[in-house]
Amino acid sequence: MLLSIVLSGVAIGCVYALIGIAYNVMFSASRVFSFTAGTLGMAGGILGALFILKLGLPVWAGFLLALAGGAILGVVTEILAVRPVLKSLDQHLYVLSTLALALIVQQFAAIEWGTDAQPFPRLLNIERNSFDQQFWLPMVACAVTIVGLEVLYRRTLLGHAFRAIAEDNYAARALGLPERNLRMASYAIAGVIGALSGFAGGQMLLAFFDNATLLTFYGFVPVALGGMGNNRGAVVAGLVLGLFQQAANFLVGGVFSSVAVFAAFILVLLARPEGLAGVALGRRV
Amino acid sequence: MDMFTSGARPARASFWSSPAITAALPWLVLAAIAVALPLYGSGYWGVIATRACVYWVLVAGLNLLVGFAGQLAIGWVALLTLGAYITAVLSAANVLPEVHPYLALAIAAIAGALFGVIVGLPALRLRTFYFAITTLGFATIVRQIALAWASVTGGGVGVPGPVFPPPFDSQWGFYYLCLGFAAICTWMTVNIANSRFGRALTAIRDAEVAAEASGIAKPRLLILVFLFSGATAAIAGGLFASLQSYITPDAFTTELSVLFFIGVLIGGRGSIIGPLLGTILLTVLPEFAAPLVAWSTFLYAVLLLVIVLVIPGGIAELLDFKNRKPLETHRALVPRPELLKRLLAQDDDPGTLTLEQVELHFGGVRAIDGLDLTILPGQVHGLIGPNGSGKTTTLNVISGYYNPQRGRAVLKDAVLTQLSHHRRAQLRIARTFQTPRIVGEASVIENVMIGGTIDGTGSFFESLFALPRHWQDEKKLHETAMLALSAVGLESLAGVRADRLQHSELRFVEIARALMLRPAFVLLDEPAAGLSVEEIRRLGALVVEMAKNGTGVLLVEHHADLIFDICDHVTVLNLGKKLAAGTPAEIRSHREVVSAYLGG
Amino acid sequence: MALTRRQALKSAGAAVAAAGIARPAVAQKNPILVGYLPALTGPSSSTGVGINRGIQLAIEEINKSGGIDGRQLELITRDTQSDPTKAVNGAAELTRGVKVSAVFGPVNSGESLAVVPLLARTNTPQVHPCWVDTLTDVKKYPMCFRNAPTNQQIGGASNRYVVEVLKKKKVAVISDTAGYGTASLNAYVPMLKQMGADVVYQASIDAANPDLKPEILRMQSAGAEAIMPWSVNAGFLSRIINTRGQLAWDVPICGQTTLGSGQTKALLEKPEYWAKVYPNNFRPVCYGAGGKLPDRTVAFLDRLKSHKIDMGDTLLWWIALGYDSPNMIAQAMKAVGPEPEKLVDYMNQLKDFPGVYGDISFTKDKHDGYRDDQVVMVEANSLKDGAFNLAPGYGA
Repeated sequence: MLLSIVLSGVAIGCVYALIGIAYNVMFSASRVFSFTAGTLGMAGGILGALFILKLGLPVWAGFLLALAGGAILGVVTEILAVRPVLKSLDQHLYVLSTLALALIVQQFAAIEWGTDAQPFPRLLNIERNSFDQQFWLPMVACAVTIVGLEVLYRRTLLGHAFRAIAEDNYAARALGLPERNLRMASYAIAGVIGALSGFAGGQMLLAFFDNATLLTFYGFVPVALGGMGNNRGAVVAGLVLGLFQQAANFLVGGVFSSVAVFAAFILVLLARPEGLAGVALGRRV
Repeated sequence: MDMFTSGARPARASFWSSPAITAALPWLVLAAIAVALPLYGSGYWGVIATRACVYWVLVAGLNLLVGFAGQLAIGWVALLTLGAYITAVLSAANVLPEVHPYLALAIAAIAGALFGVIVGLPALRLRTFYFAITTLGFATIVRQIALAWASVTGGGVGVPGPVFPPPFDSQWGFYYLCLGFAAICTWMTVNIANSRFGRALTAIRDAEVAAEASGIAKPRLLILVFLFSGATAAIAGGLFASLQSYITPDAFTTELSVLFFIGVLIGGRGSIIGPLLGTILLTVLPEFAAPLVAWSTFLYAVLLLVIVLVIPGGIAELLDFKNRKPLETHRALVPRPELLKRLLAQDDDPGTLTLEQVELHFGGVRAIDGLDLTILPGQVHGLIGPNGSGKTTTLNVISGYYNPQRGRAVLKDAVLTQLSHHRRAQLRIARTFQTPRIVGEASVIENVMIGGTIDGTGSFFESLFALPRHWQDEKKLHETAMLALSAVGLESLAGVRADRLQHSELRFVEIARALMLRPAFVLLDEPAAGLSVEEIRRLGALVVEMAKNGTGVLLVEHHADLIFDICDHVTVLNLGKKLAAGTPAEIRSHREVVSAYLGG
Repeated sequence: MALTRRQALKSAGAAVAAAGIARPAVAQKNPILVGYLPALTGPSSSTGVGINRGIQLAIEEINKSGGIDGRQLELITRDTQSDPTKAVNGAAELTRGVKVSAVFGPVNSGESLAVVPLLARTNTPQVHPCWVDTLTDVKKYPMCFRNAPTNQQIGGASNRYVVEVLKKKKVAVISDTAGYGTASLNAYVPMLKQMGADVVYQASIDAANPDLKPEILRMQSAGAEAIMPWSVNAGFLSRIINTRGQLAWDVPICGQTTLGSGQTKALLEKPEYWAKVYPNNFRPVCYGAGGKLPDRTVAFLDRLKSHKIDMGDTLLWWIALGYDSPNMIAQAMKAVGPEPEKLVDYMNQLKDFPGVYGDISFTKDKHDGYRDDQVVMVEANSLKDGAFNLAPGYGA
């Protein structure tokens, strides 16, 4: 029983953490939080089911196409909802433009894909056991993403450029870095990570349009608690959230578990607005 | 109705002049359509119109929060839910003795006001996006509780909505009841919008540091707005419950919440009529587009995206004919420094503003390193130095945006470095900013009036109901602001939207706003940047005249000529330390300074 | 399911268009307007989509055979989008705008709860198929009739089957947190207790919760011998069935009809997990002994087939219910005309209306027209053409 709670808590926590990382990657590139983060997760699940179950493509092809779909969605977010409002960052127009785009994509999915949850494929045809696809896939996806991002950021030239943008936008531009292309690339990466989370969590969350709302919220919790732009913080906070949620499901059950999660989130944020692992930012005058 | 006269605010004498009529015209048309609806509309349109009224009661309050104060409360349906359930449960008498529907509505309003503050409190601590997400969290919590607390709320089966007693029990009777609430809410929000509180809200939204420098206490003001919009949302909830005839948690969807939010934004920030039309549009549009009904939320979202990207001013911008007229292209700024006498007359001793051994570092970088500075009233004190020498940082320490690790800033008995930001305005310390901090969508005179916010005497509630002190405040602020604008030479542009002005003009708008405080000390951060030679000369004369009237001026500048022309005393900074200090003549001959900055 | 919302919309649109084209031919007599408030889109629309197929067929047949005294029956449709606020707007349009003679629907309880009192205010005769008990009340809503079972009848059938036929005394009752689910849970637990069963576990669970293992394990450790889930959410129900299968826990699952829907089936990890799942259903649309449907239903199926109406992705009882409703209203109108009072008088004396979905009778004091003995339990995995075999123990 305990094992079951821990396993599913960690698995769903990994999905939340990946969405959190998608938020972070977009934030690092543009100082913008995008409401489309959860939509990317929804898209990963629906595209996976569409390509593999509906269109009958092989698993690897469906997987790659789902990630490509996420990347496209990421780039579209950058072009449509982020780039035009970057000039006036302090007016917070990005909240509105990304909210609008997220709603557009989600409603489109609701109408074209349907409002019922639909099955998500099993990738390997092996007998179920307690360490099933729905548990290991999110964990593997999360581990691969973390390692991949570390390698990208620390070991590659491109990664150094990303970090330069994240740390000081103006200085990076002054150095002659192609800021716009790097930002688009970041959004594409975020799109891939978001779609990966939805794909990995597909067995648990199913291919369902309303996952966008769920993941937008639960995926932001790791960002808020782990500190903005802090991927390791996001993973830790994501796992804590997953475990807390499963424990609350188990202990109080029913409607009160979601009330408990939301209330705990709001209280923690009020106590530490910069997150549990974050550092307070100075103000710009 | 007062609602219309307030459009002509604040000079009531000019009510019958044509701009006032133009401003009131859309209101009159809307009111006529609404009041006469039963004469030509079917009962069906009555229901739709009632719905628009109910939603507007909520959106009117939310508009102050989102459109004016810029707080992105996406989950405001939480308050609608709360109000609907309180009104319905109390008047259905399934748990407590029966309560009269009006009393139930009043109780809901009070509870809504309190809960509005609870939902709103995170706004005081959290960044925009965080706050938006927490409001969604509250919406979920309220809905889940409505589901779970079945003994009171009926759980999933819900409770019947209240029926208001005659004459409001019939369909058109109920319509007029809702229309009445909508009209009152409109009137109240117009009053607030055209008061120092409304202007302060837009300042918090677009120019938070300027708001603080003008003495606006953000937490206090926001809590008042949360109270108000919580109460109106809860009242809307009670009316909603009656309109629905029966409420279940299914009715309070996120889509509804997003509809309210989008209604404000497509209407336009800082406008009342825009969001009103936006709300009507979003309520009525789906009724015309029956085949598209499944796509309605999709279309709202597209509309929102288009508005944000193409016409950020929303419907209000489309209706703003007044600001379409081209401005005169060769307009000269001719300040009239002689008017400053009437603004600045000091009647008591302002004291001396001193910095004592101030030390401030960011990480390992010392921005200010043991600085002593004394600014005397009636003198112009220049602060120069290369980029990064700590000039603006010094201003920010005085303004309270940075807290020095050591040392302090003192004025009379008050230790500035221990006060919160907005308290400096009460000590009559005003300032301007390197990049002008203005509210682009407000008119020039409204921007200037923001500077006098702390001199109002009427309370928020007196403004809400347009009581006499509200009018006195407005009259006085308007007169003073016109005087300040005349002094800086901008009176002819008083009614123009501030974002249409040239950069140089905005610098003078900021000075006019600073003058509204009758400052004992004024901190000017590079006021001459971007000005023409002639404009710099006029600026100089203005600054000198300010000092003559007893104000102490701290002037951060790069224009050496201006500094040496008008300063009584000059301090030169380098790497956060005082390099030299003295009269302009002394500085001009100071060897190190000359070799370093003045280029021989 | 294969039918998407878009297709449903298209078919509804096509039907509206067809009615529009047909009208000029009988323009000499005004059509009789009947309002219709289905949820064709939105989160709980699969019922509405199924019902809609039956409605459209019935209207087409009625009009082809001469309508009502030569007047065509024109269906005025407002999609409620599963949203109570849209349902209220739609009801206002039907009663105060186009002024219909009678209304069928809404088909979801959350919408009906809001619409029923509103229609009562405008004295509009109404027939709806929603189960919530309070939705008929001859005093408050004298013109509102229900041609479907009540929640009491549905729960009663399930409870009787679990306690009396399967002889299970320790029961776990579980629902989602939506309105229908919690209402059912609250109604059925006391009923079970009254029958002498021991409710060892009860809970309302967020349907979005991806992992139900803790819940199922807790039922198991509480000693439950049967699971009774109440939800219309196929994702939620399939998770219950899947988790039971994974744990290889051999207890029956009895409850909501959606347990047997095609969507639930699609979400099962293995087809064999569907064994020992007994959803509610209705005797007239079930395969009896020898796998035969009642004659009336066989004839209906033939008509469906000849109109090429798809049944593979929906349930027969939804289509049958949709088909019966306009026919019942038409029969009343043929007899007494479309005047509201006369219609209601006629309905108040309706005896054994021979519907495909079931025989409907009303009296002045009872507007719940469905018969107790027609609510039954079926074997989920016997689904064929939208219909099921009766569950073991019905001895049919």
